[in-house]
Amino acid sequence: MIDPKRVLRALAEHWTLLEPLCERFDAGTLGLAELRGQLASQLPDGTPTDITALLDQWIRLDILVPVAKSPNRFELNAQIHDFLAYLRREHRLGLCLEIEAYLRHLERLAGYIREAFDARDGHDLARQLRLLDMRVRDVLKKLANDEQALIGVAERAKTSDRQIPLRQRYAEVLATWDEYVEPMIQLVAADGAFEQGVYRVEQVLLRLLGEQQRLGQLVDDDLLLRTHARILEMQTTAQLTLRRARELLLPLREEARRHNAVTRGAALALAAIRKKGLDAVPQAALPLFTRPQSNFLGTASQVESYVYALARFEPKPAQFPRASKARSGEAPRPPRTAREMIERCEQALPLPDLMLWLLEQEPRGATDELLYWFSRLSRDNRFQRDRLERRDYQTAEHELSLCSYALLSSKAQQADSTSASHAS
Amino acid sequence: MHLDLSQLTQLTPIFRELFKGYHISQRDAELYSQLSNLQDAYRALFRAMGFELVCDSRGFYYFVPEQMGAQVNKTAQRLALFTFILVEHLADQGRDPLAVLDGGTLGRDELPALLDKYRDLFVQAEVQTQEDLEEKVMRRLTQLGFAQEDNGIYRFLPPMHRFLDVCLAVQQDRDLAAVLHSDLPLPAPTLSEEPEEEPIISLTDDSADNEEAALARAIAEERIAEEQEAQA
Repeated sequence: MIDPKRVLRALAEHWTLLEPLCERFDAGTLGLAELRGQLASQLPDGTPTDITALLDQWIRLDILVPVAKSPNRFELNAQIHDFLAYLRREHRLGLCLEIEAYLRHLERLAGYIREAFDARDGHDLARQLRLLDMRVRDVLKKLANDEQALIGVAERAKTSDRQIPLRQRYAEVLATWDEYVEPMIQLVAADGAFEQGVYRVEQVLLRLLGEQQRLGQLVDDDLLLRTHARILEMQTTAQLTLRRARELLLPLREEARRHNAVTRGAALALAAIRKKGLDAVPQAALPLFTRPQSNFLGTASQVESYVYALARFEPKPAQFPRASKARSGEAPRPPRTAREMIERCEQALPLPDLMLWLLEQEPRGATDELLYWFSRLSRDNRFQRDRLERRDYQTAEHELSLCSYALLSSKAQQADSTSASHAS
Repeated sequence: MHLDLSQLTQLTPIFRELFKGYHISQRDAELYSQLSNLQDAYRALFRAMGFELVCDSRGFYYFVPEQMGAQVNKTAQRLALFTFILVEHLADQGRDPLAVLDGGTLGRDELPALLDKYRDLFVQAEVQTQEDLEEKVMRRLTQLGFAQEDNGIYRFLPPMHRFLDVCLAVQQDRDLAAVLHSDLPLPAPTLSEEPEEEPIISLTDDSADNEEAALARAIAEERIAEEQEAQA
């Protein structure tokens, strides 16, 4: 028999060494060499003899126990491990089956209580009631521990590295859901074993209270009432724990499921596109959105080429001039490029009226060409524009009425504003 | 419903952006907060104008084009294809596709590898070069409010959920899955049975009859030939 005081004293004295070891032991057993290495790193001044003495002491106090069939490997004594886990607020999720087993035991105890009452054995009745009360406390303790463990599961999933694939990150969540929450839902359901077990025990206690009033007291009513209250508390706690588990884990489980569905959907869509082309993706599924509207003016030739592309419009065959034939009339001028026009415009800055300048540049230009250049140049971010009053302009073919712009260099404008702000 | 236009201070920019097909999300803080605060007013006003404003609870607003004549355009197909590719590519790399497409980032330097790996698919969407990919996909994503670009880093915004929803819709499309997973040939149509007809050539004649008939035919032919010779 090991003196409990000595164990507790050793735990308190060596807490700084034992606490980091707990984490290692959570992951599995440790070989003697690993254990010595771990302690040596924590005790830089300790000699190998000190470490051997320390390990001897722990083994003698049953804090460390050799692993079965591996005498050079050690683990923490399971009772000590649980106690240290409780002190470190490390909660390991239990099994739903444990709760079910406790419930079966509660039902059996309720049966013994009924038998003891029927036999009018007051002493046995009090003993069984105490056992029932202690077992209910065990369930409550377990539910509280499980709730903390569930919080830990959710926290680990949320805080783990976002770069790890979701399936891996949420593996613990999914396993917890399948192994704990899902069976708990069935257990705590209205027609589940938990509710029915609690109901049976409750009925026995209530019948006992009524019978005691009729036949006289065998045990104190307070004991019965306290046990009954604790059973109701256990019932509420189980429901609250389950609700908390659902609140914590359901969103994470849904996220993981959605992730799987998205990845599978993408793979399916790509496979369909590979087999049957881009139109294989169900059109109804694709998002409809307004095509970005262009409010940019185009010239007749641009519109024509656009229409051609759209409707397979057949153009007129182009007549190329013969090399031998002398050119009659003025040589055709190549179309102006946007760069050319912007450069010319930049050189002519500041422009008091863009439309007037264009008419001077291209007096015989087609109206749509002129409007195209007007639109293009007035929108270019190299220029700062100021709207002018509406007035009429005469092109070679038409009379236009529009609000023209005065153009300035946007750099000059920026420089002005900067110097103004410096001055102020 | 009474509408106070003076409250809708951001009406012009909101309408301009939505009309262009842009998705307004929290990145456009001013527009987004006004839309969230006066959601019903904006919705009613736009409905009266013939536009359906969709308020997605995941944090974005957009116009649904009129169903009449609304077609899934090339851009939508191209962007959906890019989303599928990116999801698969990230999953292949062991990265979390949802973490990237739901508020995460993608570097421009990752695009060439993506293009190389999925060239056969991109070609179907007329995306052949890195420039095409940037111009026809990434620029479109930013223009429509699905992503924003900053110093060569693309950050995906909440409207990307519209494309993730496509993945989910495809996943639920059992017909599509069935077509893909079935290697069986297309079922042949069953025709109604035709009435039996007299065979044109009977191959079941008795062999003895055959010989006799052949002999009779040969004699008759010989006789005709002799008569013809005699006449000549």
